[in-house]
Amino acid sequence: MANPVIKLDNVWKVYRLGKIDLPVLRGVSLDIARGSFVVILGPSGSGKSTMLHMVGCLDLPTRGKVLLENQDISAMSEDQLAQVRGRKIGFIFQQFNLLSNLTALENVMVPMIFQGSLEQERIGRASSLLNSLGLKDRLHHTPMELSGGEQQRVAIARALSNDPEIVVADEPTGNLDSATGEKIMEILMNLHKEEKKTIIVVTHDPQIARYSNQVVHIKDGQLALNHYSEEKILWSSK
Amino acid sequence: MKEYFKIAIKNLRTRKLRSWLTILGIVIGVFLIMSLLSLSQGLKETVLKQLRAVGTNIVMIMPGNISDIVTNLTGGMELTESDLNIIRKTKGVEAVLPNVFKAILVKSQDKTKTMILYGIDLRDSLNIYQDDMGMRVADGRWPVPGKREIIVGSLVSSDVFPGLKVGDKATIKGRQFEVVGILQSMGNKQDDMMAGIDMGFYRDITGDREGAPQAIAKIAMGYSVDQVAKNIKKNLEENAKRRIGRESGNVYSVLTSEALGSIVGGIMGIIQAIVFVFGGIAVLVGGIGIMNTMYTSVRERTKEIGILKAVGAKNSTIVMIFLIESSIIGLVGGIGGMIPGLGLSKLIQAYGQVHPVLYIEASITPGIILFGLIFSLGVGCLSGFFPARSAAQLKPVDALRYE
Repeated sequence: MANPVIKLDNVWKVYRLGKIDLPVLRGVSLDIARGSFVVILGPSGSGKSTMLHMVGCLDLPTRGKVLLENQDISAMSEDQLAQVRGRKIGFIFQQFNLLSNLTALENVMVPMIFQGSLEQERIGRASSLLNSLGLKDRLHHTPMELSGGEQQRVAIARALSNDPEIVVADEPTGNLDSATGEKIMEILMNLHKEEKKTIIVVTHDPQIARYSNQVVHIKDGQLALNHYSEEKILWSSK
Repeated sequence: MKEYFKIAIKNLRTRKLRSWLTILGIVIGVFLIMSLLSLSQGLKETVLKQLRAVGTNIVMIMPGNISDIVTNLTGGMELTESDLNIIRKTKGVEAVLPNVFKAILVKSQDKTKTMILYGIDLRDSLNIYQDDMGMRVADGRWPVPGKREIIVGSLVSSDVFPGLKVGDKATIKGRQFEVVGILQSMGNKQDDMMAGIDMGFYRDITGDREGAPQAIAKIAMGYSVDQVAKNIKKNLEENAKRRIGRESGNVYSVLTSEALGSIVGGIMGIIQAIVFVFGGIAVLVGGIGIMNTMYTSVRERTKEIGILKAVGAKNSTIVMIFLIESSIIGLVGGIGGMIPGLGLSKLIQAYGQVHPVLYIEASITPGIILFGLIFSLGVGCLSGFFPARSAAQLKPVDALRYE
């Protein structure tokens, strides 16, 4: 691949539990192209979430390199990493992870505060994002007052608030019923298709793989299969 | 920045009860420190104001050591007539006023009360009482030497004999006197409840024909007050030695008004320091309360901190949010403690004016208010610092994983 947006080069992650070293990732190498839709598949405990955390600059490898746009994230300071997370990466979590005492609108505005956007700009962008995700009437509701699907859509809006190049989703449908989950996946797919964002989704649900053009199987902390399946793309019929 | 305040306030609101309880801890400490500080400062100012009313060219002479002042007064140590003469003869002394006083029964308006009667050297030294001792007539005039006239303190006409006016009669030991003057307040209860009488009558009535427990000397212009004070002390002690014939333990204290001021200032300083230490301990406990609350908050919000970091919050941002929260607690507690604290001292001041137990003024200056605000804000910041830092140091992955 000519110029991958993300490159994992022999990445190891070893956790130390007492006196035992527990390797979670064991020499993973992977290229992710700009604008691709990657699904990382694997059973729980396979190390797929750990891998996603590194792709999302939330964690650093024990050994090996993670390059984000050719920059080694291990060489960055904590503040630089925070800056990268805020500007270039949008996170979507299984548990939605919204701030419970803020309204939907405020939740979407939080990442923009950290980037120093002006208030008018923040309100404008946050409400248009929420509107486009069908949450027009939910702007001033707190997460407690929203359904799971609505919460995840707020989380997607939040992930998009700083217009990142990469959207990283950790089991985005894991806490949703299948119909709602499907809608969430459609939203992600549209982001990929229409806004040309790089989407990386971690899941244990093979059904999700049908949305993607690159499927990565992880097993016991190693890459089991890296499958580019252009010919088998199963775009949702909608 | 404004947004961080909003986030902080929302967080505090989410934990309303705990926030208020923590604030209460600060309120109590600041309440204590502000009321005591304002009262002790006021007390200091009142006392020093009284002292300043006395001229700087006045010295006070008493037998014994100043540190045993209570023993000396109750032990009946007195300056003898020859002591007074030695003072008079010391170079640089313009005049000597024996400071004589005695409790005595006074009858007026068909009532009999015990009052402190003091003798005034009206003939020779009236100007010293007026100019150097700060005694001013509020109503009427000074008595005329040799006439049966008395002058009373400001509280006599209001408290001792309510309704007493200039021209009323008062009987002391069977002799009738006319009240010819009422003095302005001198700033303390004792002085304002006394009655003054010409020295000749005082000697007759009390039977104390000579000597005085203390004396006041006025130093003539052009002499160093300190030097003359030293000479007075030396002369008195040499005389005592000669009289008894050997190294005696007789000592005399000669206090200049400046020395008196610094002694009183020192005592007041100690009182204020003690007040400050106790109040400070109370605020410290409040600060520990803030720290406890903030640590609990960091623990509870571990996941939230992880989320904030995931969406781009820098460590300094996290520190800022937590510091703002603890500062708000500190500041709100400070304001909440200051208002009742200063209110209480004002109340004590008002009570003191109605029931003159002691004159005490609550000193409420912009300085004290500013001090209280900065102090409570500082306590908030300081006790929030370590919890805030521990929040910022959380690793984003670990924080996100925390349930």
